[in-house]
Amino acid sequence: MKKKKCIAMLLAGGQGSRLGKLTTNIAKPAVSFGGKYRIIDFGLSNCTNSGIDTVGVLVQYKPLILNRYVGTGASWDMAVTDGGVHILPPFAGETGGEWYEGTADAIYHNIDFIDMYNPENVLILSGDHIYKMDYNLMLNEHLDNNADLTVSVIEVPWEEASRFGIMTTDDKGRITKFSEKPKKPDSNLASMGIYIFKWKALRKALLEDHENDKSSHDFGNDVIPKMLNEKKKLFVYRFEGYWRDVGTVKSYYDSQMDLMDDMENINVFTKDMKVFSNSNFYHPQFLGPNANINSSLICNGCTVYGTVKHSILGSGAVVGDGAVIEDSIVLPNAIIGRNCKIKNTIVNEGVIIEDNLEVINEDGEVAVYGRAKLSI
Amino acid sequence: MKSKTIGLISANYSSTEFGDLLDNRSLASLPYGGRYRLIDFALSNMSNSGITTVGVIAPYNSGSLVDHIGIGTPWSLGRKNGGLFVMPGSAYGLQSMGSRFLLRDIIKCKDFFEKDDADYVVMAGSSDVWNIDFGPVIEQHEKSGKPITMIYKKVPRGEDYYGFFLNIDEDGKVESIQEEGFSWSNYFTDCFIVDREYMIDFMSWYGTLEYMDAVQIMRDNMDTMDIDTYEFKGYLGKIKNPVDFIEVNQCMTDYDIRNEVFCNPERPILTKPQDEAPVLHQADADVRNSIISAGCRIEGRVENSIIFRSVNIGKKAVIKNSVIMMHGEVGDGAVLDRVIADKYVQITGGVKIYGTKDAPVVIGKNKKI
Repeated sequence: MKKKKCIAMLLAGGQGSRLGKLTTNIAKPAVSFGGKYRIIDFGLSNCTNSGIDTVGVLVQYKPLILNRYVGTGASWDMAVTDGGVHILPPFAGETGGEWYEGTADAIYHNIDFIDMYNPENVLILSGDHIYKMDYNLMLNEHLDNNADLTVSVIEVPWEEASRFGIMTTDDKGRITKFSEKPKKPDSNLASMGIYIFKWKALRKALLEDHENDKSSHDFGNDVIPKMLNEKKKLFVYRFEGYWRDVGTVKSYYDSQMDLMDDMENINVFTKDMKVFSNSNFYHPQFLGPNANINSSLICNGCTVYGTVKHSILGSGAVVGDGAVIEDSIVLPNAIIGRNCKIKNTIVNEGVIIEDNLEVINEDGEVAVYGRAKLSI
Repeated sequence: MKSKTIGLISANYSSTEFGDLLDNRSLASLPYGGRYRLIDFALSNMSNSGITTVGVIAPYNSGSLVDHIGIGTPWSLGRKNGGLFVMPGSAYGLQSMGSRFLLRDIIKCKDFFEKDDADYVVMAGSSDVWNIDFGPVIEQHEKSGKPITMIYKKVPRGEDYYGFFLNIDEDGKVESIQEEGFSWSNYFTDCFIVDREYMIDFMSWYGTLEYMDAVQIMRDNMDTMDIDTYEFKGYLGKIKNPVDFIEVNQCMTDYDIRNEVFCNPERPILTKPQDEAPVLHQADADVRNSIISAGCRIEGRVENSIIFRSVNIGKKAVIKNSVIMMHGEVGDGAVLDRVIADKYVQITGGVKIYGTKDAPVVIGKNKKI
C-alpha cells in the first residue's frame, strides 16, 4: 500500500451536553447545520478538499445517525480503495473493554489503526467546528519547521482570550507557553483544537500518557503540556478566516445565521472548498400559491404554504398554510402546522407542531423546541 | 415476488419536435422537474419494484445519458450480482423517432436475455413521468399464463395521444392494436411484461422484421398473439413536444400528482445526487406555486415555474410558466414567460421573452441572450 503523508483522526464521540435537547439522541457532530448539512460535513469536506483520503471517525456517544450519515464516506468522495472513512467506536480486547476516557485516550486506543496506515503525520480534528480550511497549508508549515506538533491557532480579541487555550510563541512561531483559560493572557492566539503530529512523536507521547495515572488523557491538558516540558518542537499555524466552535445553543444559532446572512463567512455556494453532504435524495422544494419567503435558506424536500422570514428550513421540512416562521431554524423533516407562529426558535429534527400553536421566544433569546425524532 | 424479473429500458429514441433541446441528447436524458432526467422514472420504477438487473439500450448520443446513470448506484444497481447493463443501440447515428421497441435494438441485446435465468422481463420506454409498482403487474402476468402483459391507461376519448391504443375484450385480452387512434381510450403506456424465453423466440420468429417495432409486429400478427392487459390508474405524464414539456413539468405543483409521483415514501423517484447548497431566497424574492431545486439564488419573482439547480435570478426579474434548467443566469429585470431555457443559458438583464401556451420559446444550451 502507498505510504500516507497524513491521515486524519476526527474526534466525534463527545455528547455536547451544552447543546441541550439538540443532542438528546444525536451525537453533536451529527446535529443538523445550515439546513442540509450536519456539523461533521465541514471537517470531512475540509479533509477531501485538502487531499486527505483516510479519516478515522472516533465515535462513542449515541452514534446511530452519525454512523449512518457518514456511511462509506462516498458522499465526501472518500470511498477510495486504499483508505477511506473508518468509523472507530470503543471496542473490547483480551482483558475487557474500556470507553474512550479523553481525547488522547481515544487516539491511544486506535494506535493499531494508525499503524495499519503507518502515516508520517496525523491530523487531529474536532467533529464540531464550522470552518473551511486547507490543511495542506498547515501541513506544509509543519514539514518546513520539522515540527513534532503544529497547533492551528486563530487570533481572538484580547478581552476574550481568557476563554480559550492560549499559545504564547517566539518570533518564529515556536510555542513557548501554553495556558488553558489564562486570567491574564500574554497572547491572543487561541488553539482551535486542530493538531498535526509527527506520528512517531505522537505514538510515544500517547504510550507515556497512558501509563500516567494522574493524567486526564486530554490533548490540551496533558499531552501538549508534557511535550512542551520535554522541549519538543511545537509550532503554531496561524489560521485566518471564519471559525466557530458551536458549543452552545446560542453559538449554534448564531453561526447558522452567519452562514445565511453573509457569504463571506462560510460560502456554501462556491465550488472552491465545496462543502459536501449526504442529504441529496430529496425532491426539489415546492412553494405554494400563497407562500411568502424572504431572506431565507430553504432546502430540497421542503414544502412551504406559509410565510418564512429570515429563517432556515432543513431538508424535508413542511410549513402549513397561514403559518409564520421568523428568525428561526427548522431542522430536517419537522412539520409546522397551519397558522403556527414560530419566532427565535430552533425546531428539532422531525418534530411535528400541531396547527395554531405559538412558539415564540423574545428577541435576543433562542430555544430548542421538541425532541429529535430519529429517521432516515 | 418469487419469480425473478429483469428489466430492459429502451432509450434509443428521440423526437424532432423539441428543437435545440434534443440536439445532443435522447429523450431519455431530457432534464425534468428541477433535478431529474426522464429515464429516472423507468429506473426508479424498476428499482422500487425490486428489480436488480436492468439493461438500458443507449442512443448513439449517449454522453448525457451515461453521465447521468453511471453504474446505477442511485437506483441500487451498482451491484456484483446483476446490476446495470448499458448496451449500444443497433446502429450509430440511427435513432427512431417514435418507435420505443425497435426489434433491431432488442436483438442487439440478445445476450442480455440469454445469460440471465429470470422468468420475466419488464420492457419499458424511458420518457414517461409516472410512478408504478410492477409487483402486482408481474403477479397478474404470472397468474394469466399468457406470454405478454401490456400495461395501459384509460385516457379521454378524442385526445391527441401519440402511440398505440389497445382494443380489449371482456376477459382483458388484447383483440387488436391501433396506432395513433383518436377514438380509442386504452392507451398503451410503452411498457409491457414478457416471458424471457418467449422474447428470445420472438426475436428469431420475427428476425426478418427487425426494422419494425416489436409492438407493431404484435399488431400485425394478432392471430398468433395471446396478450393480457393491466390497467394503470395513476398519473401518466406524456411528453411529446415543448408544450407538453412545460405542462407535465407544471404538474409537479399539483398537490395530488406531487404526492403520488414524487412524495411516495415507498417508491421515491431516485436520481443522480448533486450536492448543492440550500436555495437562498433574498429579501425581495417572491416565489409562488413553483418547484425550485438546490443551489439557486433568487432575488426576483417566480410563478408557476420549474427552476433547476444553481440558477441565479436577478433583482426584479420575472419568470412565469417557464422551465429554467441548471446553471441558468437570469439578469436583473429580465422577463420570461412560457420559456424553456436549456442548461447554462444566460439571459441579459432587461431582456423580455414571451412565448405562448401553444408555442413556448425554446433556448438552446449555453446560449446567451
